Amino acid sequence: MQDAAALQGAPPTPYHEAGMDSTTPHVALEGVSRYFGGITALKDVDFQCRRGTIHAILGENGAGKSTLIKIMAGVLPPSEGRMLLDGRPVAFRSPAEARDAGIVCIFQELSLIPDLSVADNIFIDRPPRSLGLIDRRAQRRRSEELLARIDCEDVNPDTNVRDLSLSRRQMVEIAKAISKNPSVLILDEATSALTSRDVQTVYDLLGKLREDNVASLFISHRMHEVDALCDTLSVFRNGHHIETFGKGERTSGEIVRLMIGRDIEAQFPPKPAPVAGKSPALKVEALKWEDRLKGIDIEVAPGEILGLGGLDGQGHKELLLALFGVLKGVTGRIELGGRPYRPASPARAKRQPTSLALVPEDRKTEGLMLQLSIADNLLTPNYARVSTGPLIDRSRADTAIADAVTQLQIKVGDVTDKVETLSGGNQQKVVIAKWLIDDPDVILLNDPTRGIDVGTKQEIYRLMRQLADAGKAIVLYSTDYDELIGCCDRVSILYDGRVVAELDGERLTEENIVSASLNIPGGEAA
Amino acid sequence: MTPFARLSPENRPIAIAAIFVVVIVLFGTVYTLSTQGTAPMLSPGYLLQQLQIGSFLGICAAGMMVVILLGHIDLSVPWTLTAAAMMATTVGGPWAIPTGLAVGLLVGLLNGFGVAYLRIPSMIFTLGVDSVLRGLMVAHTGGFAPQTTASPLMRFLAADRIAGIPVAIFVWAGVSLVIAGILTRTGLGKAIYATGAKEGAAYLSGIRTRGVIVAAFVISALCASTAGVLLAGYSAKAYQGMGNAFLLPAIAAVVLGGTHILGGRGRYAGTLVGVILIVFLNSVLSIMQMPEAFRQIIYGVVIVGMLLVYGREGGSRT
Repeated sequence: MQDAAALQGAPPTPYHEAGMDSTTPHVALEGVSRYFGGITALKDVDFQCRRGTIHAILGENGAGKSTLIKIMAGVLPPSEGRMLLDGRPVAFRSPAEARDAGIVCIFQELSLIPDLSVADNIFIDRPPRSLGLIDRRAQRRRSEELLARIDCEDVNPDTNVRDLSLSRRQMVEIAKAISKNPSVLILDEATSALTSRDVQTVYDLLGKLREDNVASLFISHRMHEVDALCDTLSVFRNGHHIETFGKGERTSGEIVRLMIGRDIEAQFPPKPAPVAGKSPALKVEALKWEDRLKGIDIEVAPGEILGLGGLDGQGHKELLLALFGVLKGVTGRIELGGRPYRPASPARAKRQPTSLALVPEDRKTEGLMLQLSIADNLLTPNYARVSTGPLIDRSRADTAIADAVTQLQIKVGDVTDKVETLSGGNQQKVVIAKWLIDDPDVILLNDPTRGIDVGTKQEIYRLMRQLADAGKAIVLYSTDYDELIGCCDRVSILYDGRVVAELDGERLTEENIVSASLNIPGGEAA
Repeated sequence: MTPFARLSPENRPIAIAAIFVVVIVLFGTVYTLSTQGTAPMLSPGYLLQQLQIGSFLGICAAGMMVVILLGHIDLSVPWTLTAAAMMATTVGGPWAIPTGLAVGLLVGLLNGFGVAYLRIPSMIFTLGVDSVLRGLMVAHTGGFAPQTTASPLMRFLAADRIAGIPVAIFVWAGVSLVIAGILTRTGLGKAIYATGAKEGAAYLSGIRTRGVIVAAFVISALCASTAGVLLAGYSAKAYQGMGNAFLLPAIAAVVLGGTHILGGRGRYAGTLVGVILIVFLNSVLSIMQMPEAFRQIIYGVVIVGMLLVYGREGGSRT
């Protein structure tokens, strides 16, 4: 604690000099501030980035990381201050100008157009031309080369992006970015949707780009990723550039303290001792759907957190959607609180005597209506709960909203603000809170901490355990193995639409999860 | 930045449109003062008469707004209106109005079924329904103006006055209260905004989105048929093509009032201001005895120009 206070109080140390030549930095920001109305997103930031480095930008959601890269990528102009490129002042009026200057950004929100092919997407802003027309053959060939460069030979350039998994789409996004031969490549949470294999590919790619003298700016909430990859780290907090230092100069504990400005407790709340013999809140037998689910058996009791693990695209998402009544043509036996249950629609699922809730995969398109207010979003599953007859009872609605905001400690200015004004972590809290108002008995969560800052993750972990202790049954799909091990009482590993392993207690280790995910039977014995 | 920038994106178009209404009235008054030495646009009698005529458009626009909030559109308004008017005058007597509204209910259910369950884009489906209704009405009347007349109640609602105020304005006010109440005070209204903002997220929130879509089209068709019954009462009879003049102005009024054409955003007060803007714009142009060709041009330029102003002021669009 003393240590943390000392770190906070310390003036920002000079830029890390190890391994640097004396030339001017490739990109430099001088005294940059950015305001949105009355809100300060960045305050008086000096920041430098050199060629041939992989530079991590760390900070909680709302620390100003996204604003920083949007200014660098020409999406937003700075309110004050200036930006230098190789020592010359530049003022980009659009992302296209930044791109022409060699700064290319892979944004958190995917920028691909679902109904166009992979090749069309990669070359959307400057297709290869021949006689003034788009040269489809050259476009296809160059797409193949780019995809091969990032080990995605399995992606056919003629496939529509809509038909790719989230991980593959992100890889296409990366191919699109490197097609522009950037001198600065900015990755904003670009690996959070990737499978482990693709993450490794991206690491390798960034290593190659470093040799090619490219500056990579890397935003990630995964600490081990940053450790493995980056040679320079900058920490932001509340719009201020706190400190920049070289790899290995700070322990990860120190870095976390710099990011959040306070100490954090044990990362995961303690698990209670397993209680045998509780009748399951949700019991699934031989659940099948098309060729994605091939007979799933799971059960979860009140007070229990069941994890779903495995590689991306093995049927987790479909399983959760099937239970929630979104998919049509699901077969198998499902019991909710001992009663047979036939999923038909989300509206039906939430009205069961043992009711269901789903926190979906993509909070921006499935979880929230971004242009509606926080209050309206919180009410969406709960109109009946706060209405008398057809009329909404305003005082009951306001109470429910205020309780939800308090319970999840959502940081809001005013609940009538649009939900899109919130940071990613607070948006996710809104998605969870709107379902908690509905008081569900079984909560299905699809990767709820993806792209969320460390502090909010902690809060969500604690909340899940509190809910379980209060008698809820929780099914958690996560791409983060640490999370599965730290949060869940049991983890079922899915592979190709089947549960291939169920891990609990001592057997719940990263090694076992990985080997079961790859369906290596020897893994558990080893 | 202009003072409008401080207003929310929902209120900014409403404020701009309201100011424009005042500008139109002042412009018309200056014009008549300079040419005729009178100011008819400022006389209560004239204003009430304009609002009486505007009430038909206002009721159509109220229903149209509900559908546009979902990101859909109802192009069947013209012949829903006409069919309701014709069936009401055909039946006549005390059952005239219920018959007209029943036509609206049926058309609304059909539109809602086509859009929500068959998943046919509303622009296509409602256009088809409009055409079918037109054919049915031509078959019903033989293509001639129907000889039947409006019932006394229809005439009272559309053409009479209470305490000097046209009854049609009260009907419009009643419809407005119901629509505004639905949109702001009921779960259905909230569900309409939610579904219009992001249908997938609304569905995953347990909203019965198909039911919401059907309800919105029923509301729109009921409004159109109410306008039809009133218009038949105002003219004492129904006639071919009586709804044709309402479709584009109704859409324009909704959009000028700040409702987003892709759904999810907009306030009913805006639609009211939009209707008044269009009514007064029309009346100024007719006072100026502008030839029809120029009226159409000015009308179109004003609508596009206002939307450009909104876009400039609006800043971000999600």
